[in-house]
Amino acid sequence: MIDLIVAVLREATPMIYVAMAGVLAQRAGVWNLGLEGLMITGACAAVVLTEQTGSVALGLLGAVGTCVILSALLWLVIEKLRANPIIAGLGLTGLGLGGTDLAVQAIYGSEGAVTAPAGIPTLGPGFGPFAVLDLLVVAMPVVVFALWVLLRRTRFGLRLAACGEHPFAARSVGADPARMRLIALLLGGALAGLGGAELSLGGLQIFSVGMTAGRGFMAFAAVIFGAGHPVGATFAALFFALVEYLGIKAQLVFGERAPRDFVLMLPYIATVLGVWISARLRGGVPLSSVEMRDG
Amino acid sequence: MRARLLAVGRAVAFVALALVLCGVLFEAAGFSAPDMFASILDGAFLSDGALLHDLRWACPLFISATGVVIAFRCGYFNVGTQGQFYLGAIGAAVAVAVMPGLPTILVIVVALLAGMLFGALWAFWPGWLRIHSGTDEVITTLMGNFIAILLLIWVTSGPLKDPSGSGQVTASLPVPMADRISDDGGVSALILGITIAVGIAAWVLVNRTAFGVLGGLAGRNPIMVTWQGARLSRLGLGAFMLSGATAGLAGAMEVLGPDGRLVSGFSPTHGFTAVLIGLVANLSVSGSVIAALFFGGLASASLYLPVIAGLPAAAIDIINAAIALFITSRAWPSRFRFRRATR
Repeated sequence: MIDLIVAVLREATPMIYVAMAGVLAQRAGVWNLGLEGLMITGACAAVVLTEQTGSVALGLLGAVGTCVILSALLWLVIEKLRANPIIAGLGLTGLGLGGTDLAVQAIYGSEGAVTAPAGIPTLGPGFGPFAVLDLLVVAMPVVVFALWVLLRRTRFGLRLAACGEHPFAARSVGADPARMRLIALLLGGALAGLGGAELSLGGLQIFSVGMTAGRGFMAFAAVIFGAGHPVGATFAALFFALVEYLGIKAQLVFGERAPRDFVLMLPYIATVLGVWISARLRGGVPLSSVEMRDG
Repeated sequence: MRARLLAVGRAVAFVALALVLCGVLFEAAGFSAPDMFASILDGAFLSDGALLHDLRWACPLFISATGVVIAFRCGYFNVGTQGQFYLGAIGAAVAVAVMPGLPTILVIVVALLAGMLFGALWAFWPGWLRIHSGTDEVITTLMGNFIAILLLIWVTSGPLKDPSGSGQVTASLPVPMADRISDDGGVSALILGITIAVGIAAWVLVNRTAFGVLGGLAGRNPIMVTWQGARLSRLGLGAFMLSGATAGLAGAMEVLGPDGRLVSGFSPTHGFTAVLIGLVANLSVSGSVIAALFFGGLASASLYLPVIAGLPAAAIDIINAAIALFITSRAWPSRFRFRRATR
């Protein structure tokens, strides 16, 4: 049981950080499909910088910084060039996947994995079976709670929601939707960078090309499944991680009789069902409200 | 005419902007940007046989792109082209597997139809969910892509597995030579014929039929079209299934043509590139021809780069991604300004 909790937490934490970025964007009315790209960029920057400088702190800082810059780029394209957020987000994802591939080849001259000399500090002995959990896993509930407070209990969070849901109304009371979106995306960029760093530095301390393998999209699905709420998204991500874990376990127990591929499909199918149910409950209005502009 | 020229100019300008961004990235990664672009240009269009390779990728991409054009014109963001493409390939492989030794014509026709059917079905469920419960199709189609990838892995490593295969990539038994529609080069009269036929059919459908015109209007203003008495649900489902069918056809052609078998995880960027082609062409079928030739060239260059020029193939992915980032900028006709659920 303890093993299960530890395994699920380690699998889910990177996804949860990235999902928090998605929640922020969602609140601001942006469907952020660039999460996968941010996540892989964070994972790559963290390992490469740790490897180059020998300092984990610098690696984390680099991951956060790169993802903030990428988020700023996304904001520019969506807000200033008025691009479609969905396509631009997919473009950002492609940029992250291709860019990290190119970066690894440029720096290390091969498509192999990059290993960092150190990882994020863990709880260490004295915590028994929880010794392998690192600081970002421990901080995760705090981050989620802080985000919930920010979004639901502060003026900023409520204004952000207003900007996302009804930009006209928000503007009429003096909030600037464009600026709110920028803040939400930059903050989200930092969180997604941490999520990527946790993925690569938290466990094996390795970065390999394409290592996110759709986790960023899954985090996005967790946002939708969790109705854009920080706690809901967290539970959705935990659920996905649990399904993944049980899939691997079923593989070990039942061997060939449990077709692994079908077990791996479960989170995606669960997402579709989740989105469908939430759409039915909400009376079927897609969430993507792109602001109507004049001209 | 002037509006059209403006649209073309905009597309070209944003592609150029994307290339500038790529140049900066290449330089940052320590490659020489001019050399990089020169090799890409060479591999895509100038070297011996480049144009044939270009066609090999441009044909399936164009077919999928016509489906993207149809769905997006109706205002539906079907980003599930990749999954529908895979399902089409599975459909064709299954059809070939269950019809050993039957006449070639019959096998090819049934396999292509099976591909279209499978692709259409894979687009049907997100379409149905969107139209009947307002479930946003972006997520359902994206999730459908992941499910399709896993299905493909399962099919190639399970029911249709080639037992003599080894190693990482699983594949189905090869399609008998007699039932292939092209050699490994992937360009044949039949493939070109199918591509041209699909192109003409799509153009007529979009520009010269009630379905196409109403669909285009529905993409711009669904409420008006409903009030005019059109059946939106039918239009929408039709658009979804047509776009799925085209992607499925492209997948079936890969199996019967250049690939000659069902390979796990083949052409992983096909769907994304097809969506790009439709967008770069500003959702016009005729424009997609040119865009498909351009992106087909890039696709063939990505195979050529690592071998000949020693450059990473990721360069091409970056170029595609950068174009995706910018291509929809303000280029939206009003139909993308806002999306509403229509019941």
